[in-house]
Amino acid sequence: MRPLAVPIVILSAALILLLSMERDEESWDFVIASENEVFTLDPQRMSWLHDMRMAYALYEGLVRWNTEDFTPEPAVASSWSTSPDGLTWTFTIDPAARWSDGSPVTAHDFVWSWQRLLMPDTAADYSFLLFPIRGATAFMKWRSDMLASFDPDAMDAETLMETTDSQFDHTVGVRALGDRTLEVTLDHPVPYLLDLLAFAPMMPVQRAAVEGWTLTHEDRDALQRDGWHAITPPPWSSRQFVTLSPRTGRVQPDHRWARPGTLVGNGPYVLDRWRYRRDLAFTANPNARRYNPASLDRILVRSIPDGNAALAAFRAGDVDWLTGVSSDVRGDLLEASRQADAPRDRLTRSIHAIPAFATEFYSFNCGPTLADGRPNPFHHAGVRRAFARSCNKQELVDHVTGLHEPIAGSMTPQGSIPSYAPPEGLTYDPERALEELEEAGWQRDEQGVLVDAGGSPFPVVTLLYSTSSPRHERIAAALRDQWAERLGVDIDLEGKDSKAFGADLKAGNFMLARGNWYGDWGDPTTFLELFETTNGNNDRRFSHPTIDSELRRAAQELDPDQRFKVLQGVEQALFETHLPLLPVCQIVDVTMYDPESHTGMTTHPRLVQWMMRRDTTGSPHHLATPAGSSCPALRVHTDLCTRVAHSRQPPRKGGGSTTPTGDR
Amino acid sequence: MQAQWNLDDPWSFYWSYLGDLSGANWLLGDRTGPVFDFGPSLRHENWSVGEIIRDQLPVSMTVGIAAILLAIVIGVGTGTLGGLRPGTWIDRLTGSVAVVGVSIPAFVVGTALLMIGGVWLGWFPMTGWGSWQHVVLPAVALSLPFAAWISRLTRQGVIEERHADYVRTVRAKGVSETGVVLHHILPNALLPVLSYLGPATAAALTGSFVIEKVFAIPGLGMHFVDAVLSKDLTMIMGIVLVYSAALVLLNLLVDVLYAWVDPRITVGARS
Repeated sequence: MRPLAVPIVILSAALILLLSMERDEESWDFVIASENEVFTLDPQRMSWLHDMRMAYALYEGLVRWNTEDFTPEPAVASSWSTSPDGLTWTFTIDPAARWSDGSPVTAHDFVWSWQRLLMPDTAADYSFLLFPIRGATAFMKWRSDMLASFDPDAMDAETLMETTDSQFDHTVGVRALGDRTLEVTLDHPVPYLLDLLAFAPMMPVQRAAVEGWTLTHEDRDALQRDGWHAITPPPWSSRQFVTLSPRTGRVQPDHRWARPGTLVGNGPYVLDRWRYRRDLAFTANPNARRYNPASLDRILVRSIPDGNAALAAFRAGDVDWLTGVSSDVRGDLLEASRQADAPRDRLTRSIHAIPAFATEFYSFNCGPTLADGRPNPFHHAGVRRAFARSCNKQELVDHVTGLHEPIAGSMTPQGSIPSYAPPEGLTYDPERALEELEEAGWQRDEQGVLVDAGGSPFPVVTLLYSTSSPRHERIAAALRDQWAERLGVDIDLEGKDSKAFGADLKAGNFMLARGNWYGDWGDPTTFLELFETTNGNNDRRFSHPTIDSELRRAAQELDPDQRFKVLQGVEQALFETHLPLLPVCQIVDVTMYDPESHTGMTTHPRLVQWMMRRDTTGSPHHLATPAGSSCPALRVHTDLCTRVAHSRQPPRKGGGSTTPTGDR
Repeated sequence: MQAQWNLDDPWSFYWSYLGDLSGANWLLGDRTGPVFDFGPSLRHENWSVGEIIRDQLPVSMTVGIAAILLAIVIGVGTGTLGGLRPGTWIDRLTGSVAVVGVSIPAFVVGTALLMIGGVWLGWFPMTGWGSWQHVVLPAVALSLPFAAWISRLTRQGVIEERHADYVRTVRAKGVSETGVVLHHILPNALLPVLSYLGPATAAALTGSFVIEKVFAIPGLGMHFVDAVLSKDLTMIMGIVLVYSAALVLLNLLVDVLYAWVDPRITVGARS
C-alpha cells in the first residue's frame, strides 16, 4: 500500500478538517423548504414571490393585510385619514416603531425609500406602484433623461444627485410633515391605495444601513435617538455600500448591505444568517413593536430546489412547510388525500391545494385579421362565445390536470376581494354554442364539419401554448378534442418554448393562446385593466369603447360601493358578451404543512403567509441524531441543510407579469 | 451595468480581472478587500464569486475526498482479490463491481441509496448538509465509478506483477503469502492507481452536478451548470479557474509522490 499511503493520509486529514468545520447544532421552531433561492432581501429590488415572503418577515410597511380577508390594517402607520376628494392621504407613524438597530422609524424613512423605488438607478421592477402619486411618473422620466444626457465634463455626479433630491422634494407628492406624519398626494383617487402600501416593495429601508454610512460616535447617538435624517449624511466616499459613478452620474448600489450583520429592518424578525443556496435563519427582532403573541423565536428557510429531495425532507420530518410541491407527485398525493376513507397519515393530511389570486385562460385573437392577413373568425364575439360554451372546464380540472382547480367564468377569482362578487360568466352548453355559431354564419354540414353559407369550412384553428410545462400541452390537447367533437372544427396544436411563445403573443401571431395572470393588488382593476384598448398587456388586441369608458368612469368614482358596481358591470359585459378570453380555472398553489401541528397558515387566495402569525403546537426541531450514529463529537442536526440547482417549476413572479411568457 | 463592471471594454476588463484575481491590484494598493478577487457574480447581486466559491467548495471537497478514500478502499480491495485469482468466481464477482460502478449512472445509484439508507433503514438523513452522516450516502454514490477504475487498474497491476521474477524470489525465500502481496506485489501494482488519483481527485473535489442534485447538497458542481445556463460570466470563469488550479496542483503532487515511491523516477535530474 506504500504508494497510496501519502495520498490517503493527506486526504483523511483534509476530510477530518473539513468535517470539523461543519458543526451547526441548533434548534428551530419552524423550518421552511423553499424551492427557489432568495434573490434579494432588498424590498425595493424584489419582484419574486419567494423574496417577498422574506420581506414580510424582515420589514413592515405602513399597513399590513389581515390574512383572513385581506383588508388592510394598521402596521407602522397607527392611523390615517383621507381628504374628501380622495387625493390627499395623511398617515400617522406609530412612535413605538423601531428599526432593528434601535433607531426610530420616521416619515423620512418612507420618503427616502419611495424615492429609491422610483429612481431608475435602483432598477426596481415595481416602480409603477408609485405612479398614482402626483409627480412620480414625471420624476422618474426626468431622472432617466438626466442620466441619459449626463456629460461628466459639464456636471459632476454629486451636483446631479443634489438636484435630483430637490427635484423629488418639490415635485413628487410624498412629504414628511415632521417625524410622525407622512402626506401622500395622488394624481387621481386610488381607492385601493392601502392595499398597494402593504406590498413588499413599498416597505421602508433605513438609509444609513442601505448606504453603509460610516459614522462618528456623536452621529451614531443622534441616529439612535432621532433617525438618520437628524444627521448630515457623510461624504459619498464614507458610504460603504453605494458609489456615485463620475462617468455615468448613476448611483451604483452594492447590494451586499442586505446581508446578515448589515441588514437593518423593522419587521418581526431579523436576519441571523444567510448562506447562499443553503439557508436563511431568522430570529425574533428584540426591537420590533409588540407583534402577534403566537410568534416564533427561530425560523429556518432551507433552499431545496429539487422537488423530490424536498418531499423526502418533509417526509422525514426535517421540514414543516414545503412552499411548493413537485408536479410529479402532487397529483397522486392530492388524490390520496381526497379518499375520505383512507387513513389520514401525516403526508396525506399535509398536502393542500389552495386556489391563488390568479386565473388560467385561453386568449382569443380579437383583431379583424390574423397576422398573415387572413380574416379572423374570432373577431366575431359570437364565435368566441360558442368556443367558450362548448368547453367543459369541469372535465379539464377533474381528468386532465387532476388538481380539481375551481373552474372560472371570469377573470377575478371568486371570493378574493372583499365585497366584490365577480360574475358567473358563460356556462357549459354545447347546444347553445351551435346556435351562437349559426347566428354568426357558421353551421355543421352532413359530415359534421363547420362551414359558412358558401360551404367553405371553418379555418383550421392554431392553438398556441408554451412548452414550459407538460400541463399546458395536456390542457391544449383536451381542448382540441372537445372542440373538434362538439363544434366540428380542426385544431392544430402549436407548442413553443417560452421565448418564442412570448414573442408570438406580443406580435399577435396566434388565434388562440394559453395564458395566466396573477393579480398584483386587491382590486378588480388588477385583472380588468388588461382589457383596456391601450393596456400594454392587451395581447388579445381587444377593444371596445364601452369597456374603456366604463373603466374610466370607475377610476373617477369615489364611492367604493358604486365603483365596485361599475366594475362588476364591466366584468359581466366582458365575460358574458365580449369574451376576449376564455377563463379556464383558478390556478392552485400546492403546499405541504401538517395542520395538526401548525396553524396560522392562510388559505385566502392572495396567499401571503405571515411568518409571525405561524403557530406551532408540535415540539420544536431539536438536534436529531440518526439511529446508528455513535460519534458524540460530531452530532447531527437534521434540520440544517441545503440547496441544489434550478427548480422544476419556473419561479413565479409576484406580479401579473407571467402572462407574456405564460409559464407555469 | 456594463460600465459598472468594465464589461463594455474587453481589454480593460481583462486587465482589471487579471489584476484583481492575481492579487496584483491588492499588492499595489489599488483595491481593498480580498487579496484574490474573482469579481462579482453577474446573476447574484448579493454575492461575489469568491464568496460563493468559498462557501460551496468545502462542501464539494468533503464529499469528493470521502468518495476518493472510499474508492481507494473498495477499488484496491476488490482489484487485489480479483487479480490474485484471475478467472475464478472471486474475480468475476469483484469484476462485476467494476462493471456496475462504471455503467450505472449516478442518479440511479444515488436514488437507490436514498431508498435503502434513508427510507428503509433510516440510518442516514435524506437530504441536506451539516454532519458526517450527510456525507455518507453521496460519497458512496460518487465513489463507485472511481472505485471501478481503481479496481481495474489494481487487478491489471496485480496480474502483471504476481508472476514477476522478483515475486518468485521472495516466495522462494519463504515470505508468507500476505507479506508477498502487501510488501512486494501491491507497491508496484498500485503505481498506475497513483497516477490516476490526480485527475480523479480533482474531478471529485469540484463537485458532481448529479450527486449534488439528488442529495440536495450545496456544492459547487451545481453552480457551474447554473452559471452556464444563466450566462453568469464571472461565475463560470471563477469555477473553471478553481477546477484547473486543482487539476494542475494535484497532478503535480502525484508526480512528486511518484518520485518518492518509485526510486527509478527522479525529479528534475536527468541521467
